[in-house]
Amino acid sequence: MKLKFGILLLSVLALASCGTPDQPIVITPEEYHASVDQVTDIMVHDIFSPPVASRVYVYPNIAAYEIMALHNPGYRSLQGQVSELGAIPEPKAGVPVNYRLAALVAHMDLSRQLIFSEEMMTRFRDSLYTAWSETNRKEFEASRDYGLEVAGFIAGWMDKDNYKQTRTMSKFTVDTEEPSRWQPTPPAYMEGIEPHWSKIRPFVIDSAAQFKPTPPPPFSMEEGSDFYNEVKEVYDVSLEITEKGDASEEVAIAQFWDCNPYVSVTRGHLMFATKKISPGAHWIGIAKIASRKSGADFDKTVYAYTKTSLAIADGFISCWDEKYRSNLIRPETLINQYIDENWKPVLQTPPFPEYTSGHSVVSGAAAVALTSIFGDNFAFDDDTELPYGLPVRSFNSFREAADEAAISRMYGGIHYRAAVEIGVSQGRSLGAFLVDHLQMTQETAMAEPQSE
Amino acid sequence: MSRRALIPVLVLGLLAGCSRGGEVFDQPGPGATGLDFTNQLQESDRLNILDYLYFYNGGGVAVGDVNQDGLPDIYFSGNQVGNKLYLNRGGMQFEDVTETAGVAGQSTWNTGAVMADVNADGLLDIYVCAVVGINGFTGHNELFINNGDGTFTERAAEFGLDLDTYSSNAAFLDYDGDGDLDMYLLNHAVHTQDSYGKASLRYERNYETGDRLMRNDGGRFTDVSEAAGIYGGINGYGLGLAVSDFNQDGYPDLYIGNDFHEDDYFYLNNGDGTFTESLRDYFGHTSRFSMGSDVADINNDGRPDMISLDMLPEDEVPLKSSEGDDNVQTQRMRTEEFGYYYQFTRNMLYVGQPDGRFSETALMSGVAATDWSWSALFGDWNLDGHQDLFVSNGIPKRPNDLDFVRYISNDQISSTMDNTRLVDQEALEMMPSGNVHNYVFEGREGLGFEDRSNQWMQPDTLLSGATAWADFDADGDLDLVVNNLNHPASLLVNKSEKKGNYLKLRLQFSPKNRFGVGSKVFAYTNAGMLYRELFPVRGFQASSEPMVHLGFSPGQQVDSIRVVWPDNTYQTLVAPDLNQDLVLTPDGPKPFDYNSIKTRSKSLFVRTQDNLGLQFTHREDRYTDFNREKLLPYSFADRGPAFAVGDLDGDGKQDVFFGGSKRIPSQGFIQQDTTFIPYPLPEITADSLPENTAALLADFDRDGQDDLLIGNGGSDFFGTSKPLLNQYFKYTGGQWMEEGLPESYSNTAVLAPYDFDGDGDLDLFVGNLSLTGQFGSAPDSYLLENQNGTFILSGALDGKGLGMVTDALWTDFDADGDGDLIVVGEWMAPVFFTNRDGRFEGTSNPAQTGLWQSVAAMDMDGDGDTDIALGNWGANSKFRASEERPLRLYLSDFDKDASPDPVIATAKGDGYYPLVGLDELGSQMVFLRRKFPKYRDFAGRTMEEIFGKEALEASRVSEVRELRSGYLRNNGGIFDFVPFSEALQVAPILELLPYDFDGDGTEELLAAGNYFGLKPYQGRLDGFPGALIKPDGHVLPANELGLELLHKSVRHLKIITFKNKPYLLAVFNNAPVEVYALTSK
Repeated sequence: MKLKFGILLLSVLALASCGTPDQPIVITPEEYHASVDQVTDIMVHDIFSPPVASRVYVYPNIAAYEIMALHNPGYRSLQGQVSELGAIPEPKAGVPVNYRLAALVAHMDLSRQLIFSEEMMTRFRDSLYTAWSETNRKEFEASRDYGLEVAGFIAGWMDKDNYKQTRTMSKFTVDTEEPSRWQPTPPAYMEGIEPHWSKIRPFVIDSAAQFKPTPPPPFSMEEGSDFYNEVKEVYDVSLEITEKGDASEEVAIAQFWDCNPYVSVTRGHLMFATKKISPGAHWIGIAKIASRKSGADFDKTVYAYTKTSLAIADGFISCWDEKYRSNLIRPETLINQYIDENWKPVLQTPPFPEYTSGHSVVSGAAAVALTSIFGDNFAFDDDTELPYGLPVRSFNSFREAADEAAISRMYGGIHYRAAVEIGVSQGRSLGAFLVDHLQMTQETAMAEPQSE
Repeated sequence: MSRRALIPVLVLGLLAGCSRGGEVFDQPGPGATGLDFTNQLQESDRLNILDYLYFYNGGGVAVGDVNQDGLPDIYFSGNQVGNKLYLNRGGMQFEDVTETAGVAGQSTWNTGAVMADVNADGLLDIYVCAVVGINGFTGHNELFINNGDGTFTERAAEFGLDLDTYSSNAAFLDYDGDGDLDMYLLNHAVHTQDSYGKASLRYERNYETGDRLMRNDGGRFTDVSEAAGIYGGINGYGLGLAVSDFNQDGYPDLYIGNDFHEDDYFYLNNGDGTFTESLRDYFGHTSRFSMGSDVADINNDGRPDMISLDMLPEDEVPLKSSEGDDNVQTQRMRTEEFGYYYQFTRNMLYVGQPDGRFSETALMSGVAATDWSWSALFGDWNLDGHQDLFVSNGIPKRPNDLDFVRYISNDQISSTMDNTRLVDQEALEMMPSGNVHNYVFEGREGLGFEDRSNQWMQPDTLLSGATAWADFDADGDLDLVVNNLNHPASLLVNKSEKKGNYLKLRLQFSPKNRFGVGSKVFAYTNAGMLYRELFPVRGFQASSEPMVHLGFSPGQQVDSIRVVWPDNTYQTLVAPDLNQDLVLTPDGPKPFDYNSIKTRSKSLFVRTQDNLGLQFTHREDRYTDFNREKLLPYSFADRGPAFAVGDLDGDGKQDVFFGGSKRIPSQGFIQQDTTFIPYPLPEITADSLPENTAALLADFDRDGQDDLLIGNGGSDFFGTSKPLLNQYFKYTGGQWMEEGLPESYSNTAVLAPYDFDGDGDLDLFVGNLSLTGQFGSAPDSYLLENQNGTFILSGALDGKGLGMVTDALWTDFDADGDGDLIVVGEWMAPVFFTNRDGRFEGTSNPAQTGLWQSVAAMDMDGDGDTDIALGNWGANSKFRASEERPLRLYLSDFDKDASPDPVIATAKGDGYYPLVGLDELGSQMVFLRRKFPKYRDFAGRTMEEIFGKEALEASRVSEVRELRSGYLRNNGGIFDFVPFSEALQVAPILELLPYDFDGDGTEELLAAGNYFGLKPYQGRLDGFPGALIKPDGHVLPANELGLELLHKSVRHLKIITFKNKPYLLAVFNNAPVEVYALTSK
């Protein structure tokens, strides 16, 4: 990647020094992919929890999308379609705005505001800025200014989504006297994260509770009860697959979809974490794969990311609403208490209540969104987890990938069956609603870019 | 000579030439002394901190005269290098005789080294511990028996001491009193893949990691651990080993410091060959990552005190960039679910109490934070009669650095999660180094220590570990030798010999215990008594010279010295000449009576058998306000129980009312002829929702029967929620009828009745502590006027924004015949409301801002006027305050989210720093995470650098200039603050009760307190045993008088009359009440 940029930069410099007149700046989908990838990398570094990560993806995509849709009649603005979003400012007449460039600038700038390690984003941005300003200073500056203006506008809307307020709300209260109540899990016993995420303003769904799932089986550790059977199933499945060994398909599936941003490791005074991308980031990765594979242009790429990230963001709001409603205890806690003191799940239990499975919900929702864009039976090779030392897995459809992501949580020993099955259907219903509700493409015109 | 060889020679020459020093210690280099031992560590891919958690713990050092020339010799053990023995040739010249002596050792990885006469031939032998069985380490613990001819023979197997476990250290002591030396072996666990299992792991013995007690059976040592009650679990991370007769019953006891989550063990010797682990009964809390320790009588009261080291940095940069204490909920899980005790990350100084328990004072004493510390040694370095303290420290890499913990990237961690090679060299490089200078503290009168690191020695940045003291140059003062990592051992040569006097006692007890291990020495001087115990194993992985050293200030005369031999006989030495080496052998010793040294104050209080029937246990509800108000410095949810004494049933006898916590009903008790019995109050207990915080029984409607006022609060209810309203129940016609009160939704702290308008009925001052969710703001308090039994707001006193009131007292402080009001509280100065014909004018002295908790009127100085006693927060917490550098509370909406954030800051050096770290602040104010993406960017930043000058100036700032309890001395109506003595500053004083307890006709003041509503960062303020303050200023600790208030949080003390006799009723938060009879009555 770095090398490519270097070459780009060199050639631009070479061009500039030859005194060639200003060229129009061409923005490719790859540059948008690079910007999204940069956000993903920074989030892995900064450690964002899955719900917060979904928020970091969605707003920059919306900003880019709104600029693009204003320009490309094939797409329709989200104004009036997502909660409380107004119309973005239009560029001043006669200003030579490159809309794609502006969209990318807005994406980078809003992302910069959302992550912590700003410097990692500005370094990325500045190398692009340098190249663009060498190519065509006037066009670059006009587009940049407009992109920043829109980013500012979206930030104003974003700031009213209750995120700041939820920072000051109470922590999850641990009460170990309540046997069904979630409690922190080994090895780090981290506090329950984002107990108030349901209070974040949703995007497309009308409320966090719109896709409230049926409750989990009633808590009972009496042998033979539905709930007990689910606990026992997690334990039995875990024993069965660990006996088969690390090479077994189930263990491979569990690990592939782990998507835990912070797996803590303690060795004496030495502590650190192995980090991976979040479940949302994995589906953002799939959106990239599908865009590339289908040869999507810049505009369609932005559309795909935006729709997918909307499904993911609403998915987390919906899922977290249920998590801190049912506050269900994790299999690890119960199995250690009732069945096997020394049992450990294949995956590290993430720090929030069990029901429903977040990965199942967002996978279900994201898969529906992607299907609506790229069609059903869209086969793809998923190499999203390669940088984290995991292999490529191939799927015949988004739906198939979502199903595997869901069941992976049970193989991983961190969810009961109900959380997985009801979770994925919760996500699918949400996704279907979202796809149904959102009119992002014009029915009449094909979503093709206009010539400049 | 080749050029390559020249460089080391040059370097060595430089080292030799450079002798560094301070006022007390000179530090000659190895070139000058010949001590060229270097514990060189070689990190490799196969062996580093990641493979072995104690890779940096260092070697050991043992000191003693092995060649009987009168000069102590030095033995160093090395981790990867061979051990070395140096003979002391006098004049601070040492000679390496390792090879001739044959003591280099065979084990791969050596740890602690100690000297003792194991085979009872009168010569010091050397025992070296080893870690065996992990990381490919081979060998076993080695016992080098001294042949007396300059050679040693390794004979561990013969003695049954060739243990091949994960050993840290060993101590030889005669635990069973049979005259020979037995051994306690300290082992350490390595199993930390899970940060903790249940505490019960300790009951299951593990061969490699469990500690051992080895009984000497005629020269062969037998493992008696299990029968003797010694834990040996897989979770015993034993690093600290202290031997002392802690409870002074003639049998040596043990304190084992365990690293990480495992509790420390306090083994009391039962005298029958067994021990009883008794930590919880004697200690309120302990260090968490316990490392080295030492026992000595630091306050010259004749009782053993102890320090246990931890790793809290003093400097702001490592402090704020290292992983700190647990959060509240994790700690609760650790204690309640996993069964561990209260542990906090800092050094702990345990001061021995008259009842055998320990009061922990490290924060007040100034020794709590010495960074990554290994060895602590007490000794009178400057010969002034007070024990000083040396702490060695340093770690090459700080693995708990938060930037490392959070931001190490996956590329730097291999993906396998097995036990080998998790992180590569690049990752190691990311950890900052912890080369912090060693600390030396000057001991003072009482409990205070003064940091003299920069004056007494030349501070260095070595990585120092095991340390031993000895008088190497035989000049009478104590020198120190330190085993360093990757650097030649340090010798600290003490040059105090001219400054004071000394005595060195060599106690030649018996053939089996030639060096008198276990002897005790009392030196009676014109400036008090000094007490020593002879247990050479102290500090960390080391043993010091087997003698007793006493230092005396220039004018100090020794009247006599009493030596108590290990068999509990004693002899007395009258007026010995100072400045000599005394060799003593038993000479007509007599049996020693340990009762003769126990404090013999007359017991004033005796616990009643049955509490007079007052079987009430206050239960606190589980609400934790830290979850909702994440920046609260202390809780407002645990200020109960409310408590009142009065007549509940109209029979004229004193009854008792205890308020309830949220959803836990209140409880009444009535007095019958022979006992108190529970008394149902259905009208009152029907609504158990409010958290009662104050209560008052008095006849407000003047119908001859007491009515009940209840103040409510807690910090769960907020806004205008009904359970916050105070309640007023009138007792009429045998029924309690609720009456209205003027509305107030504050958290009530005190209800103080007084007829201020002189109309014959009781009016009421309502003092309010807080408004839920608005910490840092000052709530209103009220004066209520009683109009025929109904309370209405009075305009006679303006209580608007009065402050965070905790207590109030009506007293005629201006001696003009009418009652005036004094109101005290947190983040405010006492307010004196002068009664001017029924109207009140308040004044206060801004210099007297404190965290005041209680107020009482008494003549404290016997001058005939009334002084005002004040309970404050005390000096033993992480709060620091002074006139010049007050504690500050900034309240401002820093992140503009419409909810103000309280940030507490203390002064350190030139600046103010927030008390809490980036995680805690950033959880509330997300912009800080963006402003400081790395912990190292945040660490060391002042308040101004973090929040900006403008934001701070826009804040509401509250200050505290005084944290000490004391009294306001009445100088003709002008009140100056006089702090109480040190003993009264170890915890918050929450209650003050004046009464003539000893029946001598004048009042004394009984003070009590302790408070636990704090985050683990502050710990539990549990060290105050209570005290009786006499009018002449004399202070008697309450645990000497029969009260058991230490480690409990006292909320109320009250004299109640039962069968015409006064009793003391003590009411605690979250614990059963206690009733004491007064022996004087």
